[in-house]
Amino acid sequence: METFAEIFGIAYQLFDNIGFLVLSASGLIIIFGMMGVINMAHGELMMIGAYITAFSYHAGIPAPIAIIFAGIGAGLVGMVLERLVIRHFYKQLLSSLVVTWGLSLMISQTFLIVFGPSILNVPTPFGSFPVGDQTFGIYRMVLFAVAVMMVASVWAIFAFTKFGTRARATMENPDMANALGVNTGNIYALTFGLGCALGGVAGGMFALTATISPFFGINYTPLAFITVVVGGGGNAITGLISSVLSLAGIQTAVNNVVNVYVGYVAMFGAALVILLALPRGISDYLEQRKIRVRKASSRENSS
Amino acid sequence: MLLNVTNLLSGYGNVRIVNDVSFSAAPNEIVAIIGRNGVGKTTLMKSLVGLISCAGGKIEFKSTDVTRMSAAKRARLGIGYVPQGRGIFTRLSVGDNLRMGEKVGNSSSSKNFDRVFEFFPILKERQNQKAGSLSGGEQQQLSIGRILVGSPELILLDEPSEGVQPNIVQEIGRIIRRLRDDEGLTVVIVEQNLDLIYAVADRCIVMDKGTIVAELTANELREPDVARRYLAI
Ligand SMILES: Nc1ncnc2c1ncn2[C@@H]1O[C@H](COP(=O)(O)OP(=O)(O)OP(=O)(O)O)[C@@H](O)[C@H]1O
Ligand SMILES: [Mg+2]
Repeated sequence: METFAEIFGIAYQLFDNIGFLVLSASGLIIIFGMMGVINMAHGELMMIGAYITAFSYHAGIPAPIAIIFAGIGAGLVGMVLERLVIRHFYKQLLSSLVVTWGLSLMISQTFLIVFGPSILNVPTPFGSFPVGDQTFGIYRMVLFAVAVMMVASVWAIFAFTKFGTRARATMENPDMANALGVNTGNIYALTFGLGCALGGVAGGMFALTATISPFFGINYTPLAFITVVVGGGGNAITGLISSVLSLAGIQTAVNNVVNVYVGYVAMFGAALVILLALPRGISDYLEQRKIRVRKASSRENSS
Repeated sequence: MLLNVTNLLSGYGNVRIVNDVSFSAAPNEIVAIIGRNGVGKTTLMKSLVGLISCAGGKIEFKSTDVTRMSAAKRARLGIGYVPQGRGIFTRLSVGDNLRMGEKVGNSSSSKNFDRVFEFFPILKERQNQKAGSLSGGEQQQLSIGRILVGSPELILLDEPSEGVQPNIVQEIGRIIRRLRDDEGLTVVIVEQNLDLIYAVADRCIVMDKGTIVAELTANELREPDVARRYLAI
């Protein structure tokens, strides 16, 4: 029983860490991983999601619906930002970094002025359950489940819908997509909006676990960026999964062998090592290797 | 005239490349454009498609002034573009590349797919494969097949023979003729491969330094001195 509780505790931590990274990164994987836009204001869109969730919840709306509102709200804000600002800075890495950083400051300062330094929190639902002499929050596992569902639906949208095909084509070669009749401006706005909507949902989910303030996003963006960069641009979904598994795995392992703080440091260290070895991220490496293997085998076949 | 270009000016930023180009293509005609490397053939094509905005002049397609129209709208109006280098979406499957050619609200596209597979059987076999894994010739067929899915009236081909095996070039030539003869399409083709031009073209426009310097029949071009003079080969 003792060892079962220990193993369960470690598994629980691993799932918790995976859920946290996936939720934080799922919007950015689209915006940065697919579109290549550095959106420093992504955390502020998560913050907007958290505020929408909190206000809706306190207005008597059930939390799940409040979180859906958060996704819709953040998605709409994202589409407006894309139309007005972001679209002028595609392919200008440095400018987009500065401009979206400015946006992030403007958004959080505006929320500070309008709503004050903090708002009423939303209680964490579901309570907890005991295993051995420890208790575990149920909501953490809900976060994990939602994270898995989010990755699955993003994958399905991009793999199976007409919009998904057009979006992938546009990201690879916008001129050609345009010349085939695709309104690429709309595709960019919708894709960016979808990334922001996922950020809004994640913000709404986290709102039930954290203090909600104008600077809420800072808790999530650094790790989200690291996760996405480690994953690389070769394939957004395999990148996200491989990156999250390695980072969360190392964090959980070191956390249990040493302690929480060293666990964090080890995760950043692992990200550094991975990027030194595979500068373009894990998924890019995997794609390149697939191509090499295919070329090698077709050479064998032809000889 | 299906396509009517008058005094077209275009280029990149302040650099003028296409300078005062006028020509037209009648319905059911195959017009070839030749010229040495870097004279502005691709720039002209991109201007016709709408990927480069024109600094002056006029482009009319089906009697509509499309000079300021977006590339997407021109495509939906019936202009199909096969760019130099093929413009394949390498990360998409062959099937998804073809689906990218569908026009919004086009109901007959399954028939169009069958027709494309009849022209290019290899694409049917490779439907689920990543387009990036196709050979050059297969990618060229995919690029042509992709626009046929959208039933264009005018197709613009930019050097379809580039990087393609001679037997596939011949096949592409036969298909271009069939598209014109059986389906009534109009074709503007940029080429440096004279054999392909002889096989398909009704008329040939020679470009140099961004302007049209001569117009020849395909037969006139066949005279050895003429080709040598214009293409310096
Ligand atoms: N994106 C660009 N920006 C600036 N200049 C360009 C660009 N693309 C092409 N050019 C220049 O425009 C001129 C015409 O190029 P273009 O590609 O139209 O020639 P082309 O006739 O198609 O040549 P080729 O036979 O090699 O395909 C060249 O001098 C080229 O350097
Ligand atoms: Mg060219």
